[in-house]
Amino acid sequence: METDFPLRKIIHVDMDAFYASVEELDNPDLKGKAVAVGGSEIRGVVSAANYEARKFGVYSAMSGVLAKKKCPHLVFVRPRFDRYKEISKKVRTIFFQYTDLVEPLSLDEAYLDVTTNKKGNPSATLIAKEIRQRIFDEVGLAASAGISINKFIAKVASDYNKPNGQKTVNPEEVLSFLEDLEIRKFYGVGKVTTEKMYRLGIFTGKDLKTKSLEFLESNFGKSGAYYYHVVRGVHNSAVKPHRTPKSVGAERTFNENLSSEIFMLERLEHIAEELERRLKKSNLAGKTITLKIKYSDFTLNTRSKTVPYFVADKALILETAKELLYQEKLQNSVRLLGISLANLNTEKKKTESKEESVLVQLKFDF
Amino acid sequence: MKFIVSSTYLLKQLQVLGGVINNSNTLPILDNFLFDLKQDKLTVSASDLETTMSSVLDVDSDNEGTIAVPARLLLETLKTFPEQPLTFVVEDNNTVEISSNHGKYALAYADGAEFPKAVELANPSETTILGDILASAINKTIFAAGNDDLRPVMSGVFFQFSPENLTFVATDAHKLVKYQRNDVSASQVAEFIMPKKPLTLLKGILAGSESDVLIEYNDSNAKFTFDNTELICRLIDGKYPNYEAVIPKENPNKLTISRNQFLSSVRRVSIFSNKTTHQIRLKIAGAELNISAEDMDYSNKAEERLTCSYQGDDMQIGFNSRFLTEMLNNLNADEVSLEMSLPNRAGILTPVDGLDEGENVTMLVMPVMLNN
Repeated sequence: METDFPLRKIIHVDMDAFYASVEELDNPDLKGKAVAVGGSEIRGVVSAANYEARKFGVYSAMSGVLAKKKCPHLVFVRPRFDRYKEISKKVRTIFFQYTDLVEPLSLDEAYLDVTTNKKGNPSATLIAKEIRQRIFDEVGLAASAGISINKFIAKVASDYNKPNGQKTVNPEEVLSFLEDLEIRKFYGVGKVTTEKMYRLGIFTGKDLKTKSLEFLESNFGKSGAYYYHVVRGVHNSAVKPHRTPKSVGAERTFNENLSSEIFMLERLEHIAEELERRLKKSNLAGKTITLKIKYSDFTLNTRSKTVPYFVADKALILETAKELLYQEKLQNSVRLLGISLANLNTEKKKTESKEESVLVQLKFDF
Repeated sequence: MKFIVSSTYLLKQLQVLGGVINNSNTLPILDNFLFDLKQDKLTVSASDLETTMSSVLDVDSDNEGTIAVPARLLLETLKTFPEQPLTFVVEDNNTVEISSNHGKYALAYADGAEFPKAVELANPSETTILGDILASAINKTIFAAGNDDLRPVMSGVFFQFSPENLTFVATDAHKLVKYQRNDVSASQVAEFIMPKKPLTLLKGILAGSESDVLIEYNDSNAKFTFDNTELICRLIDGKYPNYEAVIPKENPNKLTISRNQFLSSVRRVSIFSNKTTHQIRLKIAGAELNISAEDMDYSNKAEERLTCSYQGDDMQIGFNSRFLTEMLNNLNADEVSLEMSLPNRAGILTPVDGLDEGENVTMLVMPVMLNN
């Protein structure tokens, strides 16, 4: 392995159909039924589906209408994020008994670095097994795990024996594991990239490995280098216990598609309010305001603007959001609006602070 | 060439004219006053090439002649004399001899012909304004003008004349003052940008003056004539920014407060503000204005509360305290109002009282963004 770092032991723990499983846990009547959390038969998007529903081809992020079509007996459940958060917290306390290097990716997955762990257990595989068992005993939910030498392989491996299973990719297996891996299973390769890879004749890790760094960079830009290294087992990203968010946002899908800007303004105000609340909660402010517009045909449009100062204030966010809304004519009726704030004040504070003090004095717009 | 003049009378005039002369000149002749004698009228001029100012003095003489006299030497000498007649006699050896009650002093002079001639204004338009009004127009605006060499137009005061009124505007892109007189007007519409230096001179001379000032102007120069003095200067070339466009139209939040109280609070609190940003924070809720500042680097912090009258939503806005201080200082009102819309939009400061008939002042200040 061409890495200068000592081998790490990384576990990626992924709760199986988390939201849906929590619902089943709290409401045993749902057991055995096809369950979708979020959305409804007429509206909205499925946030999560249990395995029963997945058999019928229902997946998260699918529209409720389509899901119902695929699986007519599907039961829709309203999401209860507070409950998910509560359970997620319980799961995390289990993690912390093994290591402090826990990087939560979302409520239902996390990376753990157990290279050195509180139990002094040299086997990451056994630790993962123990953790999964304890999650099942203490919380009542099934989890899958991937164990390997870096975050990327661990993440991919956790999908391998899902649900309720785990997969260890030992250091000596890493290269062959990656070579055999289908390109669409690579973490970081989505639908669009997969198609592009296919067109370039890349279907597996092995194909990817034959391509030069220059080739990948010229085709995929910055991500090219990532693909080049990752397929060679090189992914040095550390498990970061305190992930600082890169952006904060709020969005809303409407009960009816909106076609008039006047109604949208009203909704934007609510969204801005929610965003302000989230910003205040974590004491954040940002400079780049992005307006997200999803049309009724599901095409997505984002417009953003960067201001020279940090905003966290509802009125200012709304002002820019309005400007972005009016910037271009809407192409269709709108089903979702969102506002997010990036370029947050948490980013490289030290180097910028000097420049900041100069920038904050506003000028007339002559 | 020979003339007799009162020492204090001459000193007084020369001190005013001396303001034109730069400390260091590329053209040595500009270190001189030009003395142009025609019988009992002595015209003294000073110039920096951009601005030329001259005054006509009454002297006792029946000669003619033109000489350039070293300004610094002459001024220093005159300052030491008590009031007395001085006799100036031009000698053959290129010196001018001054005789006082105390003795004699010889200064080398230069040929008056070397002194640059002031431009003649071709086809000027003109308007007349009372000296004191012009002085206060300058006084109210000039502090807001900028010093940025990259935007020379903003380093001057914009004169906007129309048959309805005269408007004077200055801005440095952070603050802006618009001073309007509806009791004075011009025969036709005209606009020009006056540099700061001649305005500072005029402000000094014309404060409290009951004399009329004749302003003549064309595209490149302006000439101010009053009493025995005339000032000709080059205008700043360029297009003045569209200042009307930056005056916010809708300002739902209006604060009315005693100017003195506001000013003293801002002054005190600003002592505790960051030394580079001078940022202070105004927090307005109900009838209370909270002014605060802090300097993170030194853990200095101050906060004051003032009662005010306020209409609008609760808001927080940051300003550079120096701008607010300058602006508040420049108003004569007992009460001022500060109108605002959003924390990133200009605040509009206007006096509630204390204005003359036909006088109008609008001051704008851009906020400093509060980082939390």
